[in-house]
Amino acid sequence: MTSPAEDVDVVAARPRPRRGVSFRDAGPPVALVVMFGVFSALSADFRTIGNVQNIMDTAAVLAVVTCGITFVLLMGSIDLSAPGVMGASALAVALLVANNRNDNDLGIIGVLVAILLAAALGCLSGLALVLLKVPSFMTTLGVSAIGLGVATLMFAGVQPNITDAMIESWAVDRFLGFSYLTWIAATCVLLGWSIQRYTRLGRYAFAIGGAEEVLSLSGVKVAPYKVAAFTLAGSFYGLAGVMVTSQLGAGLVQAGKGYDFAAITAAVVGGTLLTGGRGGILHSTVGVLLVTVLTNGLVQVGVSPYWQGGVQGLIVVAAVAAAVLPQRRRNQVTK
Amino acid sequence: MKFTSRPAAVLAGLSLAAMALAGCSEEGGGGSAAAASGSCDPADVKLVGQVHNESNPYEASWLDGGDAFAESVDLTQERLTYDGDSTRQQEQISQLLAGDTDCLVMNILPNGDSDTAPIVEGAQEAGAYLVTQWNKPADLDVTEYDQWLSHITYNGIESGKQIGDALAEAIGGSGGIIALQGILDTGAAKDRFAGLEESLAANPDVELLDDQTANFSRAEALEVTKTLLTKHGDDIKGIWAANDDMALGALEALQQAGRTDVAVVGIDAVPDALTAIEDGTMTATVSSDGPWQGGIGLAIGYCVATGELSVDDIADEDRAWYAEQFLIEQDNVADFSAPATDESDFDCDNVFSRSQGPIS
Repeated sequence: MTSPAEDVDVVAARPRPRRGVSFRDAGPPVALVVMFGVFSALSADFRTIGNVQNIMDTAAVLAVVTCGITFVLLMGSIDLSAPGVMGASALAVALLVANNRNDNDLGIIGVLVAILLAAALGCLSGLALVLLKVPSFMTTLGVSAIGLGVATLMFAGVQPNITDAMIESWAVDRFLGFSYLTWIAATCVLLGWSIQRYTRLGRYAFAIGGAEEVLSLSGVKVAPYKVAAFTLAGSFYGLAGVMVTSQLGAGLVQAGKGYDFAAITAAVVGGTLLTGGRGGILHSTVGVLLVTVLTNGLVQVGVSPYWQGGVQGLIVVAAVAAAVLPQRRRNQVTK
Repeated sequence: MKFTSRPAAVLAGLSLAAMALAGCSEEGGGGSAAAASGSCDPADVKLVGQVHNESNPYEASWLDGGDAFAESVDLTQERLTYDGDSTRQQEQISQLLAGDTDCLVMNILPNGDSDTAPIVEGAQEAGAYLVTQWNKPADLDVTEYDQWLSHITYNGIESGKQIGDALAEAIGGSGGIIALQGILDTGAAKDRFAGLEESLAANPDVELLDDQTANFSRAEALEVTKTLLTKHGDDIKGIWAANDDMALGALEALQQAGRTDVAVVGIDAVPDALTAIEDGTMTATVSSDGPWQGGIGLAIGYCVATGELSVDDIADEDRAWYAEQFLIEQDNVADFSAPATDESDFDCDNVFSRSQGPIS
């Protein structure tokens, strides 16, 4: 009977820190709306239903990767393992479901095995971090190389093309106008948000990023939570690897190429800080949409491919600068 | 601390590498005078083929072609791979050149342009017969060396034009197409796109609706194609891709959009693309004929080493040349699905028969 009262207390205590950061929280969504408006005004092709569907479908894989990486970033760590983990999971799933290389036809079990493999690789990153005390960007870089190595061994010179009807349908079939992959990504965002909001893992991730020493001094063992966060991130990358395989119809070693920095960019653009402790899944998801709308919009508006890379970088830097402007004082550690 | 010591480490590494190279050059130096005459007993010739790795079908077929040639002259080929690692390539070459080099014939795929010069210098000093393919800095002149017999590469402008023309024909000579370019700052991407522009000039009713880069990547090609399909919709009749990986990504995008009326072309002749051409989902690709590449370099070296051909008799225009490449469409795809070599291509009178002219 006492619990409702406690909840009230917690809620009542909250508004104070929130008021100061409200502008920063609102920045990225406002930028998203403005950018969407500008592109819609400039291009008739951009503002079609078909293109909105396309943007959502395109954002799906990046959204899942970003869900994973957000937990790591919240703790103030960094994770560069996505390319290797996704490659390993892409090859694993392609070889376990119906394909042209062997007689396996495990269907959804194959997907789960691939995600488990990815989770194990994520766990490895976490263990190396807490047991060997190696900085996270080094351990995850190493794990990425391990993942690519595992993927190359499974590749063995012949690309596995999948024939599994279920996995192929994820990218093709639509429900309420969006592909199954988009719905999978939406489910992941919801799941990630629930973990962040309602579980100890989520709340401790913020606390570790905010002030790890305080947490340790108050008797919390942080190591298991760090390993858990990396494992969770790994399983998200694993699912993303499966999604790429579904899109391409083949298991590629390079399935995750570039997703590490794309996801970090999206998370930071959305307001998840690299220093940890601030942001979250919803922030990062807005960041994913911002980046995807930008990429799509530049093509739709007809910016020359020779200019796109530069223009994209410029807008991202501007967006991040605008997002962190209100708190530039506390952000003075700009190494 | 980490950063300040890095330049020092680089310097140390470079100087070690330089010393290693200098060392092997000195060792091999004695052999050069004897070998230039080219009077090896055919049975004494040692054949070496070296490529990046055997984990891609193209380079595996290259080495198989080398084996086929070696077998035709009752020799065996030593198969070397260096995993795309320049240092390992140079180490392997140094080892080879440190041994008996009098009748050594090397058919080498340099890792990059900058790797060619040290290989050439090493072979020149040691008196080994060398043929290189694909990568060579423009200012490195083959005719200045007498052990570097020939350099073979392919004209990207021509392959870009060939598939452009095939695409124009497939869409009936008129309609809109989109182009997926490679990594914009590579020679291959520039040349191939220039070829497409030549093809467009020759087919005035074909309109280039859009050109975007997908960086030679299957995944990026999928995303870009999806976006362009929403932008141009049914106006798109064809997709020109600067390599087969991007063409395959575009095919996935078309399948996801439920479009079956769009022709797709690529370059490289990867196995999945050949299957797609056989099925009729893809229109054309271009092959450089890997098995022939593996055999021809050894054949040129073998002919010179045994004295059937003299370096002085090789015309300057055959020292660095573009080889013929083949347009693959549905009617001839079967010939390329199981790659094989033709022995007559490797006759000493015939080794330059596929030349399309000197590299300009």
